[in-house]
Amino acid sequence: MRLFTKASGNLKQALCASTVGLATAFALASCSGPGAETRIAAPAAKAGKVTAEPEGEASPRRLRLMTQEQYLNTLAYVFGPDIKPETHFAPVQRTDGLLANGTAKAGVTDSQLELYQKTAALVAGMVVKPERRDFLIMCKPADEKAADKACAGKFLSDIGRLLYRQPMKPAKVAELVEQASASADKLKDFYAGLAVAIEAMLVSPNVLYIAETSEPDPKRPGHQRLDAYSLASRLSFFLWNAAPDDAMLKAAETGEILTDKGKAKIVNMMLASPRLETGMRAFFDDMFAFDDFNNLAKDPMVYPSFTGVTTGDAREQTLRTVIDQLITKNRDYRDLYTSRETFMSPSLAALYRLPSTRTWTPYEFPADSPRAGLLTQISFLAVHSHPGRSSPTLRGKALREVLLCQPVPRPPANVDFSIVNNPNSSYKTQRDRVVAHRSNPVCAGCHKITDPMGLALENFDGAGRYRDNEKGNPIDASGSLDGKDFKDAVGLGQALHDHPALTSCLVKRVYAYGTGGPAKSDETLKWVNTRFAEQGYRLPDLLRTITLSQAFADVSDDAPAQAPVKSASADAPAANTSK
Amino acid sequence: MMRDLGVQFGLLLVGMTALSGAAIAASNADGAVIRNGTIGYVLTDYHWAVYQTQDSKAECPTGMNDGPREQFKILFPDDGKKRTLLETQLARESAVWHPDVSPEPYPFKEATGKYAVGLNLDGKVGPNDFSSPDGAVKGIDNQLYRAIGCITAYRGPDGAVHYFGNKFAQQYHYDRVLLELTNVDSLTNDSDVTVTTYRGLDGLLTDATGNGFMPGGTERADHRWGKQFITRFKGKIVDGVLTADGSDVHMPASSTFEDVSVQWIRDARFQLKLNQDGAEGVVAGYVDVETFYRQLVQAWSTHHQSYGQLSSPSLYKALRKLADAYPDQQGHNTAISGAMDMKFVQVFIQHPPAETAAKDAETPARAARH
Repeated sequence: MRLFTKASGNLKQALCASTVGLATAFALASCSGPGAETRIAAPAAKAGKVTAEPEGEASPRRLRLMTQEQYLNTLAYVFGPDIKPETHFAPVQRTDGLLANGTAKAGVTDSQLELYQKTAALVAGMVVKPERRDFLIMCKPADEKAADKACAGKFLSDIGRLLYRQPMKPAKVAELVEQASASADKLKDFYAGLAVAIEAMLVSPNVLYIAETSEPDPKRPGHQRLDAYSLASRLSFFLWNAAPDDAMLKAAETGEILTDKGKAKIVNMMLASPRLETGMRAFFDDMFAFDDFNNLAKDPMVYPSFTGVTTGDAREQTLRTVIDQLITKNRDYRDLYTSRETFMSPSLAALYRLPSTRTWTPYEFPADSPRAGLLTQISFLAVHSHPGRSSPTLRGKALREVLLCQPVPRPPANVDFSIVNNPNSSYKTQRDRVVAHRSNPVCAGCHKITDPMGLALENFDGAGRYRDNEKGNPIDASGSLDGKDFKDAVGLGQALHDHPALTSCLVKRVYAYGTGGPAKSDETLKWVNTRFAEQGYRLPDLLRTITLSQAFADVSDDAPAQAPVKSASADAPAANTSK
Repeated sequence: MMRDLGVQFGLLLVGMTALSGAAIAASNADGAVIRNGTIGYVLTDYHWAVYQTQDSKAECPTGMNDGPREQFKILFPDDGKKRTLLETQLARESAVWHPDVSPEPYPFKEATGKYAVGLNLDGKVGPNDFSSPDGAVKGIDNQLYRAIGCITAYRGPDGAVHYFGNKFAQQYHYDRVLLELTNVDSLTNDSDVTVTTYRGLDGLLTDATGNGFMPGGTERADHRWGKQFITRFKGKIVDGVLTADGSDVHMPASSTFEDVSVQWIRDARFQLKLNQDGAEGVVAGYVDVETFYRQLVQAWSTHHQSYGQLSSPSLYKALRKLADAYPDQQGHNTAISGAMDMKFVQVFIQHPPAETAAKDAETPARAARH
């Protein structure tokens, strides 16, 4: 509490201030900032492809807590990539399949505030260090042992614009300058005083929270749209996982970003930027639930080859593959699940039993390899297994929930796990175990929708290593996915590639990730999915479609949408599982 | 944790044979470790082979040898006699660096008993030979064992040379020993394979237990500075056991201070149980005495030798006495039969571009310096 009092003490900026200052959890809030209407109004939108977009979809104005990665990425842009404080922000709750959705429901506890302050103090100290100050602070104080309001004001307003993601109001700048000056005089050090003001900025709720504000859409009376700065932030945190850069803020200042042409120009610039890779790595890390890696542990006696290095490299391998396929090579999203192209590190090569070079290297599994696509990479196989054995059920469940957006019901409270957990059971293979498990009618309902595809990955043990037998018993890796049969993991990858829910799930996740929550209705998602298909399932095109859509910028006063939940069904035909 | 190497080795062979079939099938389907008829291994553990019984009574009935500290007390008792540094410490240190075969005022305790680990190097069964611990093989030639078997430093599991020598070899990249089998059709039976030793350039991959090393890594062979360690053998694989002979072998053997010492085993032969994950067994041959001793005193100071009651001047005399091969012009044997127990894990060995390798092959570097 003390921290926020200090940091924001006199900050009167309207930003849901009544809630932000509280160190308690608070739910999604919508804020229509006073004065937002006075910002530059957008010219009327031109008629164009937007006409094909269904009307009516609009997201609530959101208040989202900046993630650790967004915070660090922003610092790297503002102060340089060597400003990398060691910090560990509290995790947020995964909501509707994404951590990003959880940031709109994240509260801040006292201990988190303390962490924010420590991080801010660390960063401020780094910025004013003698070896950095000369190129980070573009003015020199008249006397380094005293306050210099002119220099402090210039620096603080410059970085404040980037940190607050909009120009700072003169009163706010003056307040920070006073703070810096008082500290400088007291400490007899201009830079130490400046550090105090930097620290205060970095713990400001206006920096830590991404608050969206809106304005009436002049083209469509009765509709609200994100104002220019909020649109810039939504775009930037979506595509780059960082605050808007100088060019975007300029486009917001001029109102260019609110025009169809201007927004398209900005979006194309962002899609062409190397920073898109950072943004999309963050998205797929979130969508694939790779935060599970943070808690991943394998029994070293069972899987001695699965080390801490392996864990990090497995995550990196998949992310590198995704970026290479979808961004660098602009390939069809579905091919991620059949492609044999990937990257290999020395540590992973040992697990795959392949020769390696000294560093990450592109690698393509041969045509007769049992590995093809992301499902056969160590990341998916190891994360969705038990510490000491593989799990067809966990793998099948992950496939349904993560890749097809089909929630699998939790097991009933009275379920009997003794069949699968008994280490001394007579079952020769995991298939035998789960088949026995499915003989229990209570269990069968759910296991029918997870196990048939999970069993196709049984050629890979709990660490992701290939095996053709389990304790000497040959492995049958055949399976099925919503009516499509296959004989092994490669066949499963192809079935997944052809599954209509694969692409619609990505659309659903990308849309929610970009707008901060699930869509209110299916219509816009269907429209986006249709365009996605027309464009050959290329991720950059999908991002462009979503960011340039009316729905992306439109906001409403409605309560946040709840993600429609349609559980996977063993009996449902594929067409009915495309949620 | 005393051990009976022979029994252990026998059990190991059985266990590894059972593993071998499954591993082959698995790796043929994914990430085959035999590529173009080639499989590589990297040495992860080695010790001079010392057969040990539980209480050491069988092999060392009169106990362990004295080390530098104990000998110093015998030579220079606290009898009130005034002695100079030159006459005492420096004299003993001089004996370390300039050893000879003159008699000492204390007995050297040789290992005795019937059994030893190693191989029958000369094809004969002589009066000084041992039997393998399981009794199956007669005529085991291992006179080095007689010399070091009752020196604490060489005994497992925690003798200073036994433990730290192995640990340093794992840590120091200089000590990386690679074994490459080429022309391999099968790891179970193959009548003609070529075995080549190299020095490797890379570290070992520690496994998740923190105590072992994982197979599947990649090691670069040193064709530039490691030529003296490149040696080729002809071999065969019978029932999963590789035997290879016909050449000397040089092994990098750095210890303690990352010195660059070596071991030179003449007329060496390997006997290793193989599978796709690793290999285990012995290398045996005639250990060059001077090279062995030089490695000892370079790598292990008197300070370190004292930890393990290892008196290098005394050991030198024993080595010269027990040496049983390669006589010099005066008829004194210069090498002593011996063996090392070894463990390897599978690695992929990378060589420089073909033209470099070919050029290197034209100038095989045998260690004439020895």
